[in-house]
Amino acid sequence: MKTNPRALIKSVLLNLLVVLLVIYIAGPFLWIISASFQGENELLKKPPSIIPKNPTTDNYRYVFTGRVPTSYEVTGQLRSRISQEARLIAPALKNSFIIAFSVLSINLLFATPAAYAFARLRWRFRAGVYNFILGSRLMPAMAVAIPYYVIIQSLKLMNTHLSLILVHSALTIPFSIWFLTLYITNIPREMEEAGLVDGCNYFQVLQKIVVPMILPGLVAASAFAFMTSYNEFLFARFLTTSIASQTGPVIISSISGNPDVSYTLISVCLTLAMIPPIILAITMRKWLTEGLSSTITYR
Amino acid sequence: MAVTLTQKETPPQKPRRSMGGFYPYGSVLPALLVIVLFTIYPVFYAVRISFYRYLLTKPNSHPFIGLKNFEDVITSYYFKNSLINTGIYTIASVTGVILFGLVVAMLLNTKMRSVGALKIIILLPWAIPAVVAGLMWKWILNSDFGILNGILYSLGAIKSYIPFLADPTLAKLSLILAHIWKEGPLAAIFFLAGLQLIPNEFYEAAKIDGGGGLTVFRHITLPLLRPILLVVLVYETMTAILTFDIVYVLTGGGPADSTSLISWFAYAEIYKSLNLGTGIALSIVIALITLVLIILYMRALGTEDTIS
Repeated sequence: MKTNPRALIKSVLLNLLVVLLVIYIAGPFLWIISASFQGENELLKKPPSIIPKNPTTDNYRYVFTGRVPTSYEVTGQLRSRISQEARLIAPALKNSFIIAFSVLSINLLFATPAAYAFARLRWRFRAGVYNFILGSRLMPAMAVAIPYYVIIQSLKLMNTHLSLILVHSALTIPFSIWFLTLYITNIPREMEEAGLVDGCNYFQVLQKIVVPMILPGLVAASAFAFMTSYNEFLFARFLTTSIASQTGPVIISSISGNPDVSYTLISVCLTLAMIPPIILAITMRKWLTEGLSSTITYR
Repeated sequence: MAVTLTQKETPPQKPRRSMGGFYPYGSVLPALLVIVLFTIYPVFYAVRISFYRYLLTKPNSHPFIGLKNFEDVITSYYFKNSLINTGIYTIASVTGVILFGLVVAMLLNTKMRSVGALKIIILLPWAIPAVVAGLMWKWILNSDFGILNGILYSLGAIKSYIPFLADPTLAKLSLILAHIWKEGPLAAIFFLAGLQLIPNEFYEAAKIDGGGGLTVFRHITLPLLRPILLVVLVYETMTAILTFDIVYVLTGGGPADSTSLISWFAYAEIYKSLNLGTGIALSIVIALITLVLIILYMRALGTEDTIS
């Protein structure tokens, strides 16, 4: 095969474009991770080194144990700063985790039977209720943030995990129902018919026949619910005022609001906060992609 | 999530005489209760508060003032400013997200070996919290120690560090850059799903007819991608108009209100001016604007459906 010079140029340009895109997408992650392993004095050089020259895990050790990194003991014209608030990140991420996991469980428990009823059963108000549930997500978050605050306060749930579990469930269940309804509508129904003929009731059909068939859909729906809750910021900001109850995004935003914050420690916080979603996004890439694709191509 | 209503639900193929009695109602009830609690009451409450003067600095006096809150909001300079900012931001970032999504999707749809890496990392920006994404960019763009300044400086592209987030125009651009980074991947996944639905024969036929890359894109890819393009357009427009998290951490509406988008302005009314009445009136205006846009888009989608 002779190489066509035009095709060669085209291939080189396309590959260059891919490289640029990879740098744009992955660069920020790599930089923050690299920064989290640098000493403050190294990071504040002009220009900073992209790859740490003296990589150190001191910053991580400080966040988890409180032992002050050695780079902060160096005195010179660079001021050393230490942000004690950075140590709040571990408990905050634990809060995020508990809340997101509870939201995931509630989504599976509530949305699966509802989706089955929407996809397979015929009942009065079905279309109306379905449209109401989906339409509820069209409310801009900012418009209801204050009312949510009032509801949570009158339920005496301020600064509790339960408040965010409730709000995030209301936020994620409509998507889960929609997603699972599409999923169930698109699987063959012969098995269910056979189950019903054999005398199973609807609940048994759902439990023994439908759930095993829609497992990939349930996994994707769980991941979406988990991520939405884990990443949510506005309501968490409004509904938690005590440091002990605040979630990862809220704590990180308030740490970084301090103009004297330590850049290395904030990099540690950012790195720690993005580990769970990154693990999810990489390990479940196929299911997430298929799930997202199905929402736009299924009819 | 705005795309939801445009989906047609398929009715069950066989009408069922026995409907399981109360079973369907029981299955929907728990989910419905949670959603009703956080939908119906908040909306009524918000509408009610918007007709009262509700200053957190005066906790004991809430006189009824009719539409005064709406009047105050709509006539204020800051509202006009944030509306213009939101308009510019939305047009620029939606265009950016769609171009990014199309380019990435078309690359992912080729058999090039280098796209393997792109495939693995494409979901990452979408997966992380917007607050984290905003802060990553904030440190990258930092005017004293930022890596972007460092790289440009080392390459000799700039003589001194640029204060990206302190200049009104550059701050807007930075916000858009971070937004495209965060939102583009989802658009790419959606477009890729659309591209994979286009049968290969179409491209082969075009090749036989001697169509070049651009012709094929204009006459085959784009028309067939149109329904998905519209859904992505609706979704991304809503996302851009309601952008809040990234503004909160990246620019805080500044400098000089140049990145004060409408959601940020509502937040500032509530938190900084401690004026619930105007804050909520503003939120209702936002809700109405988005509602009008959704209806317009759904009209467009509706006609699209009848054509195809």
